[in-house]
Amino acid sequence: MEIDLFTLVAQIINFIILVVVLKYLLYNRITKVMDERQERIASQLKEAEQKKKEAEQNAELHQKKLKELDSKREEMLAKIREEAESQRKELIQKASDEVKDIRDKWYESIQREKQTFMNNLRMKAGKEVFAIARRSLTDLANADLGRQIADVFLERIQKLDECEKQILKESVRKSEYEVDISSAFEIPQEIRQKMVQEIRDQIASNVHVQFKISSDLICGIELVANGRKIAWSLNNYLHSLEESLSSAIEEKIKRKQDEIQEE
Amino acid sequence: MEINPDSIVFWKWVYFKINATLFYSWIVMLILILVACLATWNLTAGYRISRWQNILETIVSYMRTQIRETTQEKPDPFLPFLGTLFLFISVSNFLSFVPVYHPPTGSVSTTAALAICVFFAVPVYGIRQLGFTRYFQHYIKSTVFLLPFNIIGRFSRTLALAIRLFGNIMSGTMIGAVLVSIVPLFVPIVMHALGLLIGQIQAYIFAVLAAVYIGSAIRAVQ
Repeated sequence: MEIDLFTLVAQIINFIILVVVLKYLLYNRITKVMDERQERIASQLKEAEQKKKEAEQNAELHQKKLKELDSKREEMLAKIREEAESQRKELIQKASDEVKDIRDKWYESIQREKQTFMNNLRMKAGKEVFAIARRSLTDLANADLGRQIADVFLERIQKLDECEKQILKESVRKSEYEVDISSAFEIPQEIRQKMVQEIRDQIASNVHVQFKISSDLICGIELVANGRKIAWSLNNYLHSLEESLSSAIEEKIKRKQDEIQEE
Repeated sequence: MEINPDSIVFWKWVYFKINATLFYSWIVMLILILVACLATWNLTAGYRISRWQNILETIVSYMRTQIRETTQEKPDPFLPFLGTLFLFISVSNFLSFVPVYHPPTGSVSTTAALAICVFFAVPVYGIRQLGFTRYFQHYIKSTVFLLPFNIIGRFSRTLALAIRLFGNIMSGTMIGAVLVSIVPLFVPIVMHALGLLIGQIQAYIFAVLAAVYIGSAIRAVQ
């Protein structure tokens, strides 16, 4: 075991050279790279942490927004439901109103038709009644009745007041003393003469009387001179009766219509 | 039988000579530098790294951890010195399985050179870390009378470093040589394997002791 001085010094120098070379070639480079990687990992971890935090915040925000949206949607749905309900009620109300309206109108028109029908029936019945009366009276208008009617007519001529007589005289004069006597039946000869005599006595002596048969006159007799007329006929009575009847019916119809309108 | 590589001289001129110690030291240095060059050729801070870089990064990071644990300081200032000590001794010992190779650490000149490097590195790091005064206060800690003992301690532990490494490696080589002459088959292989293991342990011990000495120097008056 001996120490070679030259080798010792050379080895010291060798070792120092090796240290310096490896320091630059190996350690510095390796440690730099390792530190860089470590820093990079650390920064990436930090970044990841930050991103995670951001993501969490975003998630929270989104959750919150989602919740808000949910509640808003619920609110809107409730509102819409409410509106729909009210609209439905309104529509139903409207429809039922319309139905009621239509029903009322229909009812009214039915009532009116019924009324009209009843009125027509009444009028027709009235007319039928008078037609029956007229026919029966016409059928009854035989000679005896005619005589009696002629008597009544005669009496009427006799009982003319002065004023009427004057008007009649004037008419006869205007008609150049032509007088027509119409009746629904055949007047017997004696009555005819009587009547002519009476007219000549009462109105004018030179009167020319012409007798006619007219079926329009129901059980009646009339004297016509220049449009002026003296008459007695059941038709007149019937007419006035018909008028009073129809006025009574009309009044009743009017009252009924008023009642309907009030309803 | 030649067991001292210093005495195997390849070339000599006046005072200069190239013996086996220097030659194989250069080979070891060349290997280390080549590997360093190869590994650091394509260094990347990315996540996909080459195998060489991976191996070196593992070694370096392990050395840093060891230094940090031993010195209780940031490892980077000591890494080149202590790391190179370990790598040089480790590779020197590891190559001993190559037939014609003589480990440079089997020469007391080499181990003495390394021990001297440690001997001087300790005050250099101490002074750089603490300052001249504070470092030398360590020598007269407790009392001034301890100064000679401290100085003797420094020398003796340096000597111990040198002799320990030399003795272990030299003995390994010597045992190998003796066993080859007695039982030429099988047994020397086992002893060689043991020698490799001892070589690695010695490299570790040398580097760790150097770290301990440096660590104690920079923590001297804390």
